[in-house]
Amino acid sequence: MHNKLNRRDFIKTTSITSLSVATIASGITLTTFAQRKNPVTNAKRWGMLVDTNKLTETDIDSMVDACQKEQGWGGEKYSIGNQKPTWIRKLKVKDKATGKISNLPLMCQHCEHPPCVDVCPTNASMRREDGIVLVDKHLCIGCRYCMMACPYDARSFVHENLTEQKEHMPRGKGTVESCTLCVHKVDNGEQPACVVRVNSEAVIFGDLYDPNSKINQTLKKIQSTQIRADLNLNTGVRYSGI
Amino acid sequence: MYHWPIIFLNLLLATTLAYATEQTSLGDEARMIQASGKKHHGSESLIRKMHPEFLLHKRDRTSREGVRTKKHSLKNCVYCHANKDKKTNQYYSVNKSGQFCSVCHQKVSVSIDCFACHRNTPSKGANNAQ
Amino acid sequence: MAFDSGDFMNIRYQQIQGNSLGFYTLIAGLGVFILAALGAFYYMEYQGHWVTGMNNRIVWGMPHVFALFLIVAASGALNVASIASIFNKKIYQSLSRLSGLVALALLAGGLMVLVLDLGRPDRLIVAMTKYNFKSIFAWNIILYNGFFVIVGVYLWMMFERRMNKFSTKVGLIAFSWRLILTTGTGSIFGLLVARHTYDAMIMAPQFIVMSFSFGLAFYLLILMASYKWTNRELGDVIINRLRSLLGVFVAAVLYFVAVFHIGNIYLAENNNVATLLFSTDSIYTNLFWYGQIILGSIVPLALIYHPVFKQSNSMLGLASVLVIVGGLVQMYVLIIGGQAYPLEIFLDKEILEGYGGVIVYTPSLAETTLGVGGVALALIAIVFLLKFLPFLPESLSNKVADPHYKR
Ligand code: HEC
Ligand code: HEC
Ligand code: HEC
Repeated sequence: MHNKLNRRDFIKTTSITSLSVATIASGITLTTFAQRKNPVTNAKRWGMLVDTNKLTETDIDSMVDACQKEQGWGGEKYSIGNQKPTWIRKLKVKDKATGKISNLPLMCQHCEHPPCVDVCPTNASMRREDGIVLVDKHLCIGCRYCMMACPYDARSFVHENLTEQKEHMPRGKGTVESCTLCVHKVDNGEQPACVVRVNSEAVIFGDLYDPNSKINQTLKKIQSTQIRADLNLNTGVRYSGI
Repeated sequence: MYHWPIIFLNLLLATTLAYATEQTSLGDEARMIQASGKKHHGSESLIRKMHPEFLLHKRDRTSREGVRTKKHSLKNCVYCHANKDKKTNQYYSVNKSGQFCSVCHQKVSVSIDCFACHRNTPSKGANNAQ
Repeated sequence: MAFDSGDFMNIRYQQIQGNSLGFYTLIAGLGVFILAALGAFYYMEYQGHWVTGMNNRIVWGMPHVFALFLIVAASGALNVASIASIFNKKIYQSLSRLSGLVALALLAGGLMVLVLDLGRPDRLIVAMTKYNFKSIFAWNIILYNGFFVIVGVYLWMMFERRMNKFSTKVGLIAFSWRLILTTGTGSIFGLLVARHTYDAMIMAPQFIVMSFSFGLAFYLLILMASYKWTNRELGDVIINRLRSLLGVFVAAVLYFVAVFHIGNIYLAENNNVATLLFSTDSIYTNLFWYGQIILGSIVPLALIYHPVFKQSNSMLGLASVLVIVGGLVQMYVLIIGGQAYPLEIFLDKEILEGYGGVIVYTPSLAETTLGVGGVALALIAIVFLLKFLPFLPESLSNKVADPHYKR
């Protein structure tokens, strides 16, 4: 056997190490061990609240960076210009009336009534019961109609062959992709990578329905908006300060 | 109980074609389990015959319903069934010609597209086996 | 029923011979285009779409221009047969078989391009088995498949003498189906609420008149070419009918385009798009005015109606070619131009950085080759079937077209 380590020993050492790491790092890491066994239900609706007044430009850049690191996009070799995927982008906007300038991150808004899902011929674009809008890449035929339909231009098409994808985020040529709200982490009880990276009041993630959640309570207190509220899509991502 | 002859044949092959077997073998992790006398899949013939159904079912459960258990997860197949090149200490891709997810498929000329997206080597520091 | 089988009797249909050098040259020439298209497809598929001019803003490029043009033209090519069935115009009855053939061939060409431009054409089976009934696109897939079946049956009714008596009814079904089909194609764009460049239900009727015009132009060219190249007689009774029909259709398209854009100018939120097309510095503006309006509409109208050109079949042929070219340009302006302009993500804010700008799309050779291959596929199918089945009346002389014709 090439491996000198006996398996039992190996398990023993690794468990002891990880246990001690877990203990040191306390509560946060412990929650990561919960794995979802049952289908998600509509008892929850995941959402995000972005406070543009608290968010600096560097914060937004770091959100983009965290997303790239977590999901593994941005390192495409051949795609140029607008061919490069953009799961999340930084926008600088100026209010036409007041002239106020704000910066904000824009990604899939996880609509309750997503136009991308309506137009998808194969049901690849889908909204999970808990409100997360995803592409089921196993059904995606790459027709790009969802990209035509999205009011936020939040989706990208993979223009080239990829290798060395992240294990939790398979991506491949010829299919459409977008922000997943880090569904692989959320299902295991964690927060999306960008939220973790900013790590402040500026971006709150949680269950919109749960009256005890921070996002629910904050939304009750402060004034927030949805982008393109006129389309009545009831987005899961909300903004305040713009 | 026809897996004994298979294992026997495997071992036989392993001694005669030492280098070639390294590639055609079961995968490092799986081989370790096998060597320890344990079994992972309840029945070998079942996994051999039914793994497409298992995988596709799991695929839908995970990507559409968020079920993230390890059973029949593709990540885990890769984790157990990937082989390392002893010299470079790098994993071979599981779907590379001669590797686990490829040998049988080549024989029956099935081609799978899964690894256009899914990682075909275990990621660093992965420990998914169960 | 106004016609009896006797009416059919005096029209004799005959395959084309298809053994001349010209015939084989034509087949070979079209074959080269098809092979080139398959090569282009393989290249784009193997490399990925980065080798095309498309990107995440212009998600539908040149292949879609050709594909949608062909699909729209396909339903329009059926019109001649529809006129025969619905209005029971005997003069058009002799032209019905070819009409069905051209319709099927154009649709096949268009669908080939559409499918080969998918990101995962290998998953076509998914598209055929998993339907989202909320999706216009999924409905279109059903409508296209249905069109093949219905027009196929319709052709059978026309070919098989004992079935002739049903051909009117089936023709009616085919006509309704094609209206729905084109409405569906138009709605692909018309129902995109997010895009102010499209979102307008006028798209559906506009696509229908476009189909009348493009389809008839195709039909006319094929009719004239096949009669000329096989030395059969094609009298001016038929040609003149079709000529004035084409004129009406081209004018109707022009009318719809005018209504669409004037509507846009008056709707405040669509102002920017109007500027896109009517300001002078964008390629889409030039294409719109010079390609679509002048070359594709005004010049053909002149060729059709001006007394100097009126007698000439070649001028009618030229007019048809221009209608087709103008139609492609119109599709280009509609599809590409419609995506080139950034979305209005904020209604009350201006985006300073991070998104925006009018995209200039440069189609790659491969994309255009694929699109042209679709046209070639349609033509080769027509040429082959004309050889193997009797689609064309032996003669369409004035006497055949209209027994009461007097010089
Ligand atoms: C925990 C490690 C482990 C995981 C995870 C695992 N396997 Fe296995 N696999 C084994 C072992 C060990 C064997 C040898 C037979 C046994 O133990 O059942 C085996 C045998 C097989 C065989 C039969 C091989 C032969 O030569 O006949 C197939 C097929 C197979 N696995 C497919 C899969 C697939 C597909 C997956 C993912 C759904 C998977 N395995 C996941 C460890 C694993
Ligand atoms: C176009 C890209 C793509 C292709 C091709 C693809 N997958 Fe996936 N697969 C994904 C994505 C994305 C997920 C979702 C990952 C997540 O949510 O954690 C996934 C998840 C899965 C899962 C659940 C997660 C896991 O690792 O167990 C299974 C099982 C799976 N796929 C099986 C397959 C099989 C089998 C094939 C080949 C027949 C295949 N996939 C082909 C993109 C792809
Ligand atoms: C023991 C031989 C064997 C091994 C090892 C094996 N397969 Fe298979 N696999 C088959 C056979 C045989 C089929 C065809 C089954 C059928 O058509 O019903 C198949 C089919 C499949 C399919 C369905 C393909 C399709 O398009 O229908 C998938 C997915 C698949 N295998 C995945 C895997 C993966 C992943 C591995 C490696 C973990 C693997 N297989 C290892 C024998 C094997």
